[in-house]
Amino acid sequence: MSAFATTCPSCSCGCGFYLLTSNGQLTGVAPSENHPVSSGKLCARGWNAHEAALCGQRLSRPLLRTNGKVESVSWDEAFDQISRRLKELTEAGRSVGVLGSARATNEENYLAGKLARAGLHTNNVDFSYHSLCRPLLAGLEEVCGERIPTTSLNDIASSQLIFLFEGNLAETHPRAASLVMKAVEKRAFLVTIGYRMTQMARLSSLHLVTTPGNEHEVIRGLLAAVLELRRLDRRLLGVHGEEYEALWRDVERVDRTNALRQAAEWITRAERATFLLACNGGEGEQARKDAAAFATLAAVTGHLNRRGSGLLVLVARSNVRGACDMGVTPERLPGYERLDDEQARQRLQDLWDRKLPRDPGYSTEDLLQSASGLIVLADDPPSVVPMGQQAMAAMEKLDYLVVLDSFVTPTVQKAHAVLPIASFAETEGTLTNMEGRVQRLRAAANPPGIARAGWQVIGELCARFGVGNSYTSANDVFSEIARAAPRYAGIEQRLSADGWSTALLANVDDAKSLVYTSGAAAVTESPCARGPYVLVRDGSFDWGHDPLVAFSPTLSRDYQSERKLFPNGFVEMCQRDADTLNLSAGRVVRLRSVHGHAVVPIKVRRDLKPGVLSVPYAFRDELASVLGRDSVTAVSVEAP
Amino acid sequence: MTYAIEKRDVTEWLQKLLETAEVIAPVRGPCGDVLFSTVRSPEQVVWDFQNTLPPPKQFVLPQTDPIIKIKRNGELHEIEAIYDDTRRLLFNIRSCDAKGIAFLTRMYEMEPADASYLRRAYNLTIITLACNIPCSLGFCVCAGSGPFLSDSYDVQLTDLGESYLVEVGSEKGESALSGVPNLFREATKDQVSQRERLEAEAKNQFGEETCHFASAMRRISTGRVQDALWEEMSEWCLECGGCNLVCPTCYCFSVKDLGSDGSWTRCRMWDSCQYAAFTLEASGHNPRAERRQRMKRRFFHKASAQYYQRDCAVGCVGCGRCVQVCLGATNLPAVVGAIRKGKWNA
Amino acid sequence: MLDVFLPYVACLEDVKDETPDTKTFTLRFRDGNNGGNFHFLPGQFLELSVFGYGEAPFCIASSPTRPHKLETTVRRTGQLTNALHKLRKGGEIGIRGPFGNGFDVEAARGKDLLFVAGGIGLPPLRSLIWNVLDERPQFGSVTILYGARTPSDLVYKQELKEWAERPDVALYVTVDVAQPGWTGEVGVVPSLFKRITPHPESSLAYICGPPIMIRIAVQDLLRLGFKEESVISTLERMMQCGVGKCNHCAIGHRYVCRDGPVFDYARIRELVE
Repeated sequence: MSAFATTCPSCSCGCGFYLLTSNGQLTGVAPSENHPVSSGKLCARGWNAHEAALCGQRLSRPLLRTNGKVESVSWDEAFDQISRRLKELTEAGRSVGVLGSARATNEENYLAGKLARAGLHTNNVDFSYHSLCRPLLAGLEEVCGERIPTTSLNDIASSQLIFLFEGNLAETHPRAASLVMKAVEKRAFLVTIGYRMTQMARLSSLHLVTTPGNEHEVIRGLLAAVLELRRLDRRLLGVHGEEYEALWRDVERVDRTNALRQAAEWITRAERATFLLACNGGEGEQARKDAAAFATLAAVTGHLNRRGSGLLVLVARSNVRGACDMGVTPERLPGYERLDDEQARQRLQDLWDRKLPRDPGYSTEDLLQSASGLIVLADDPPSVVPMGQQAMAAMEKLDYLVVLDSFVTPTVQKAHAVLPIASFAETEGTLTNMEGRVQRLRAAANPPGIARAGWQVIGELCARFGVGNSYTSANDVFSEIARAAPRYAGIEQRLSADGWSTALLANVDDAKSLVYTSGAAAVTESPCARGPYVLVRDGSFDWGHDPLVAFSPTLSRDYQSERKLFPNGFVEMCQRDADTLNLSAGRVVRLRSVHGHAVVPIKVRRDLKPGVLSVPYAFRDELASVLGRDSVTAVSVEAP
Repeated sequence: MTYAIEKRDVTEWLQKLLETAEVIAPVRGPCGDVLFSTVRSPEQVVWDFQNTLPPPKQFVLPQTDPIIKIKRNGELHEIEAIYDDTRRLLFNIRSCDAKGIAFLTRMYEMEPADASYLRRAYNLTIITLACNIPCSLGFCVCAGSGPFLSDSYDVQLTDLGESYLVEVGSEKGESALSGVPNLFREATKDQVSQRERLEAEAKNQFGEETCHFASAMRRISTGRVQDALWEEMSEWCLECGGCNLVCPTCYCFSVKDLGSDGSWTRCRMWDSCQYAAFTLEASGHNPRAERRQRMKRRFFHKASAQYYQRDCAVGCVGCGRCVQVCLGATNLPAVVGAIRKGKWNA
Repeated sequence: MLDVFLPYVACLEDVKDETPDTKTFTLRFRDGNNGGNFHFLPGQFLELSVFGYGEAPFCIASSPTRPHKLETTVRRTGQLTNALHKLRKGGEIGIRGPFGNGFDVEAARGKDLLFVAGGIGLPPLRSLIWNVLDERPQFGSVTILYGARTPSDLVYKQELKEWAERPDVALYVTVDVAQPGWTGEVGVVPSLFKRITPHPESSLAYICGPPIMIRIAVQDLLRLGFKEESVISTLERMMQCGVGKCNHCAIGHRYVCRDGPVFDYARIRELVE
């Protein structure tokens, strides 16, 4: 039995563990006490992370689909056709693009971006999960500037106060939940904000209940309570003078309840406070404003740039931050530099020896609908993006779709060309977690058949489009990344060392003190009218369709059962609502909104409050007629 | 028979053992963790550590254990059992882990005996090192599985300073010594009493703090733990399954056919009774849908009189791993303590 | 040492449609000798492998008194059963078993027997019913209460006709919802109790079906004077190994695959969840 130290590919906590192999085959996982994030612990997804690669439906040979027939071909044949077909499209002036992935490595994402910008001469680069986290990041950038300062996960355990905004940590980020529990055991105050009475909410010192769509009110209320509390003594605040007055003007009329005052007291007294912001994929403008207000709260109370305090953005998947840093987004370049930053562009143009296109590209959902040719790296857009199956319909209309993946996903089945790449367990590369910790993957087994490392495959594609470079290892790619993205410079040595060679990206030491301009906390008219009932699309990540879970016999059981028993979806409500409506679990209801209606069975949940109905993100397509493209909508509920 | 071997001679002994079997011993890797691994040379064996985080149970019960091979040949199928007859030797493991393997073997010997597991277990020689200094999180005294053993080992070593006392517990143990008989001398009376003294001192180090297994067991066995208490405790569980996966006496598994296109391997795969889907039926009905029910189940299996009578052993070896690995705050000693007090304070 | 995970290879000697989603499979061991070694009791189950899909437990729906007619009746509910339903006559499957405790046939001799079944609950009872009918003189009265959701959901339609015609069997059949052409009773299975006058002191009752039906039927029987030890049912649980090792089917320290699946109500009440 052999053990390979690697990083967990699931969520953005970035735990570490050993992949165990027996006779060259994956057999299990062992925890590591010495890992800086996981310290000997793992969650269910971590403990079973080997299963997907071992048991899943794997891609092992390049495939080409012509006239509905799929045939297995050689690598050269596949590359030949791909470069020919895409060149035909670009030469005809048709739109092409590349989608990176939140579950691909930094090396793979970087090369995907390079392929697009330098090879295909387009800025049509994005990644599916970005549709969900972009508004949130934009809101944070408004307040924090270009570089969002983050604290470390371990700081959570030593915090005196933890703010958790709209997250179900126990499910999305169990390690972070674990650290919250540690803090609470040590008598820290936990304030949760959300419409669900999640496990963290039940352990909280104070749960501020929101109604979906109105989270903003609670945050503004907190801001008001803090400003009021510190009106006469502003020393501990992160905002002064005119900025204080501007902010106060924006929020002074907001209702301040005792609960909000209590929270304000805790927050201003705490030496160390962590602010955890979940990405719930809420409606764009709303999510942006909520994030900005949340960050403002952190800044105003001085916790944004204080040692031991700070913010953490709870994006779902392991390499969301890495994907952003590698520039696989339409308005950014590697290093997360702005597309219109001349210095950054020039640096890249010099490095890649190509002139780069200027105009920003399409974002994922637009790209899916407008492109003629598309390369998709390690992702299944319909299961990730809010538009769901509409994305599948859009992809079916593509002239030419190339997919690189380890697993057979629905997107793979629509591809004209399929290139098999190694899974996380079989490749070298790096991932960047939510803290900005860059960590290594180590190959524990060989990929099946003639599948190759992702960096190698995209490297070859780059070469076919005239942007070669002779990468002989993932390390070679990383060396180039370090030159393309200054933030990633200087950590190579640390990463190549044996052992838990992780490298925290330099944080923003000089986080500017908040310069508040009216807006972040200003009034927002919630687009969603308050009805007797409100239907919310819950969460923003469908783990059930992610290969890591879908192909794991141990992890997929719940999701498969749910999908089998409720093929047409369902809606969740609390017992009180069910009683009022005279319904029991399994009975159907008709939901009606401004968008349309649907008839679905109900499920009863203890963690919802009366008036709030929810549908899991995984079933948004089944409820599309009611939700439309909204994440929250007013509904009426009737007997069918 | 009791022998002694000079510490400086152990290398030669290990060299001999390496010729006879696959030797698995604690090895310190580049990340600093000590893990049980197959060793190629005696130098790899680590002696200065308390215990590994994963137990050595994967060497008798791998996390993914191939048991049957299925091949389709046209309309017909060929099926055969997969044999693992490799001779293995676990070297320098702790008392609790030896007891753990003995427990697992008893489970798999129960009618009907499971040949797949037993083939590995019967080909395994276990050489333990007794714990002169008990580990900080362990409570093996409460479970009768340490710090020193009186059974469940093939060879038990005790660190006497310049030498090890070598207690042979079986024929397999005897053969482990037979390759280099010149290295082993009959133990002197002093050496034997030194070992007894060391055991008494080790036991003393647990102090007054006894794990209140007995009283917790009584309450668990008679259903006198309130549902409300299970509910409260289960709020501190994050359902990672770690407690089961690192437990030397846990052996729950699921069976899955891996492979495709006419060639499959049926594998046994570790599972955890703490996962919601563990008891999920095809109809969608789940008798243990609530986390508190699953938690109650785990403690019933570990610490009930009913299981104790059935197994003639307590389902816990007091190794303390569940304490280290718990992602939440619900390790066995904490829960047992709460049951005794009737109250949980996280 | 037994390789308890090694299945016998068997083939589908016959496949019969019972209802739109249920089929009865007659199984024949590929290696004739296995058939000779496969001694089972009514109420036991087997682990059936559909190669490439996995394995699942199914009760044996035939009797040891008819050793050459090993049968199981399976409803299509998921991937594995779907694949099984797609197999034709001659198709190969794997069998492990027989597992479980089975019904205590000896204890039933001389007693009046009451069978209460709902929907797919009839197959496990049929194993005992066949056994009893094949050795009819050794048992007292035989009363069968059976019901399904609709007439097309009734299983063993042909046999029901045969049982109805036997003078030594009292059969009552009902459906929840009638369909055109149905002239029989309409109502849930427990509603059939009013048609019978059992003698609890000399009777044993066997109940199998949906959990809610079992619950109601058990209460009705206790009210009628049956002792808890005389009310017998089969429990179902998620199973994987079938031999008491994987722990999936454990209820307290009892294992449905070893201490069950047949339990009398007194023992059911003792089970610690």
